[in-house]
Amino acid sequence: MLSKEQAYQIIDTVLKHTQGYDTRVQVSSNVVALTRFANSEIHQNVWEDRTSVSITITEGKRRSDVRTELIDAAGLKTAAEEAISNLKLLPEGQEQPPLVSEPEVMESDAFCPDLEQEFGTFNRARLLNECLEMLAPEYMAYGALTYSATQMALGNSKGIKRSIRSNSARFSALISDAEGGTGYTQASAHRAGDLDVVASFRTAYNKAQMNRNPIQIEPGAYTVILEPMAVATLLRYVASGFSGKMVMDRASFLTGKMGEQVFSEKLTMIDDHTHPSTQSLPFDFEGTPRQKVVLVEKGVPKGLVYDLASATRAGVESTGHSMGWPGRGGMPMHLIVEPGEQTLEEIIKNTDDAILVSRFHYMNPLNRRQAILTALTRDGVFHVKNGEIVAAVNNMRFTESMLLALKNIEAISSDRQAIGNSYVPALKIKNFHFTGKTTLDE
Amino acid sequence: MKEQLLSVLQLLKEKHQVDYADIRVHDILQENISTENQKVQSLSTGRTRGYGIRVFLDGSLGFAGSQDFSQMEQTALTALEIAKASRLVQREPVRLAEKDVIVDHYETPIKIDPFSVPKEEKLEFLFEAERIMRANAPNLLRTRANMGCRKEEKIFADTDGSYITQTLYETGGGIEAVAASQHDMQARSYPNSARGNWATAGYEYILEMGLHENAPRVAKEAMALLEAEVCPSGYFDLILDPAQLTLQIHESVGHPTELDRVFGHEAGYAGTSFLDPSMAGQFQYGSEHVNIVADATVPGGLGTFGYDDEGVPAQRVELITKGVFHNFTSSRDTAAVLGQRSNGTARAAGWSRIPIVRMTNINLLPGDYELDELIAGIEYGFLFSVNRSWSIDDRRLNFQFGCEIAYEIKDGKLTGKIFKNPSYTGITPEFWRSCDGVANEKYWKMYGTPNCGKGEPGQVAHVGHGSAPARFRNVKVGVADVK
Repeated sequence: MLSKEQAYQIIDTVLKHTQGYDTRVQVSSNVVALTRFANSEIHQNVWEDRTSVSITITEGKRRSDVRTELIDAAGLKTAAEEAISNLKLLPEGQEQPPLVSEPEVMESDAFCPDLEQEFGTFNRARLLNECLEMLAPEYMAYGALTYSATQMALGNSKGIKRSIRSNSARFSALISDAEGGTGYTQASAHRAGDLDVVASFRTAYNKAQMNRNPIQIEPGAYTVILEPMAVATLLRYVASGFSGKMVMDRASFLTGKMGEQVFSEKLTMIDDHTHPSTQSLPFDFEGTPRQKVVLVEKGVPKGLVYDLASATRAGVESTGHSMGWPGRGGMPMHLIVEPGEQTLEEIIKNTDDAILVSRFHYMNPLNRRQAILTALTRDGVFHVKNGEIVAAVNNMRFTESMLLALKNIEAISSDRQAIGNSYVPALKIKNFHFTGKTTLDE
Repeated sequence: MKEQLLSVLQLLKEKHQVDYADIRVHDILQENISTENQKVQSLSTGRTRGYGIRVFLDGSLGFAGSQDFSQMEQTALTALEIAKASRLVQREPVRLAEKDVIVDHYETPIKIDPFSVPKEEKLEFLFEAERIMRANAPNLLRTRANMGCRKEEKIFADTDGSYITQTLYETGGGIEAVAASQHDMQARSYPNSARGNWATAGYEYILEMGLHENAPRVAKEAMALLEAEVCPSGYFDLILDPAQLTLQIHESVGHPTELDRVFGHEAGYAGTSFLDPSMAGQFQYGSEHVNIVADATVPGGLGTFGYDDEGVPAQRVELITKGVFHNFTSSRDTAAVLGQRSNGTARAAGWSRIPIVRMTNINLLPGDYELDELIAGIEYGFLFSVNRSWSIDDRRLNFQFGCEIAYEIKDGKLTGKIFKNPSYTGITPEFWRSCDGVANEKYWKMYGTPNCGKGEPGQVAHVGHGSAPARFRNVKVGVADVK
């Protein structure tokens, strides 16, 4: 992985080759070391060191993009010259927004050397052995333990410099018995000592042990309690609707609905990179400082996120949410949902009849304008009756509009969980439609 | 380069006594052009070049990938150390199925090098497609057109003595028309959604796709869908066109027949399969009309190549014959468990990834029917076209697909009426058993999907699917009736 200085040197080299043009250069340098296990043994164990350089040149209504992983002097020169020659042949297109010029420097270094040590090659194997030792013979474990480090740097011909260095460890495990009763966990950390792999593994094991002798329920409307992992997956799709570009393009379910009471008053959702439970990226892929944006306040959609191009089109300032994809607009990346008043345990205790869902699998929108999503439950579905979990349930498919589901929120848990870069509670939702079974009757 | 690769392999074999090692070098050049509302949306090019070293030591795997060719020995030693760590958590040593030692070169046959065509000419081709759409439906919210090309030069060398070089070309593109009102948005695309259709071919493929010829229909249908009724829910007879069958085959046949999924290699991530090896030769996957092969040799298929990334030759494998399941797609490590040889489907997404079992071209073979005959056999039902949504469970049983458009069939004829927001759902074997006819080879078409995700770290594979329109009986359509 490159150092900050090496990354800046690449940026300076490219900018010299493109003098006279508005140029943005992004350097991404990553090391990923991933130990994957299946059938309670390591089956894939890989390491990569990869650096890529993205060059964007704009002039009036023209823009050209070149990406290269040939980062020696000759490779950078070739890439810069190609970007210029492509620009020259382009007809006029969209008006290109001016490059970011302020602040001049933003740098962040969250790299933790002890984390690198804690999750080194042999330590990952030792940790997995410790986990696997707790399993009874009828159980097998599957998953991955990953250490990664990244140095991202960005600069442009206006002279700004951006740098962020960080590292993280991530763990996911699925425990299964011979009958297919599974439990799943995922956890991550950015500081040494924060990721307790063995404790996380035990959580999945406990759930797998609960997930036995499932009953079959019929398609229909149910009250559901979605655990944070299920909520995070759901809200990731919902969050994509808060792109200012999508709303302008009339592709979002929020088209014509901003400022209205669309969701339950219980729901407040913020995109906040400063929240300690997210891994902050304080600037976006265009170099704009990232803003905190209240997306939903007490059920009312309030804020949208923008990159430079979509902000220019909307006549507003960029909120610093560019993902670096031309024409795609901004995207929320640090999703925080405000907590409710009862713990998940209390919500279960106060529930007469509901289906408790651990997480979802293969979610996709069936209709974006109506926010209709579909997905399968996975790794733990349970029937809650009179305040207690009384049975495991076979996996089911749901098909539901999030405009309705998030209006039908009955409770939000006070305890929240960091899932990826989101920090979310459990949700209790009424009238949630399961539309299909997953069993083969033969 | 060759000397450097052989020297590192010799070091691993002779000094470090590995069971086996291979090195792959990938050098990939890409170009993508897209236009939107008759303006250039993006013109981007990309280049990646690096190598990956895979080492097996006492039956344990280590892999390291790098861009730094001056550090190849060090990268090899990193892979070796990783293999030693893997050995700490190993129940059974990994065995690799036998393969032949091969020295060869393979190159995609092309007529026009896609990188030789001036970018101005490509842009004008896309603009013209957009102009035709706009001329036929001036009120469209958006028109889009795109094309791209890719050239991948690969070297495979291993400690057995194989040395294989390949030059693979890919080309593809598509168009899309989007219509919107205050309350709805509808899209039609050609030849498929999600960036069109792709093949291992040269620029001639773009010229022969019919983008301009189909632009008027696509534009008009997008507008008409805004005013169309929503497709009814219930149980109906369906015909799926090849653009939709592509994803149906991909999700409900391609993935469950991957042997690594069967053995749990993907259980912690993408899932497993409802199949197991004991079902080979026994299990009724579909009706007698269902004949499906994995064919990496079919000309132009996006999953066509000379050798996979373990140095095993491309092959044609019968997965399902007359409805009966027979074979999985496999790699050297998974095939060895069944005492078989690999059928050559282990592929890596690039130099920094290990080869895993991937689809090649998973093709539904043509039947005997004329399309009119399939339609004539339906009292009331629909012809669904072009996918727009997909989802399937982790064992690949319960699927649900949304399509762009449904054409009504009544009393054995297409009525001309269309419906919007069609979707259907089912259980994989029940669905394929309900197939009672596949159209003949006149209607058979290959589709390429350049975005099949699998594995950790993530790998995106380029795969193909050939099919002809097929009829399915009594399929669950829509979900509005689930109360």
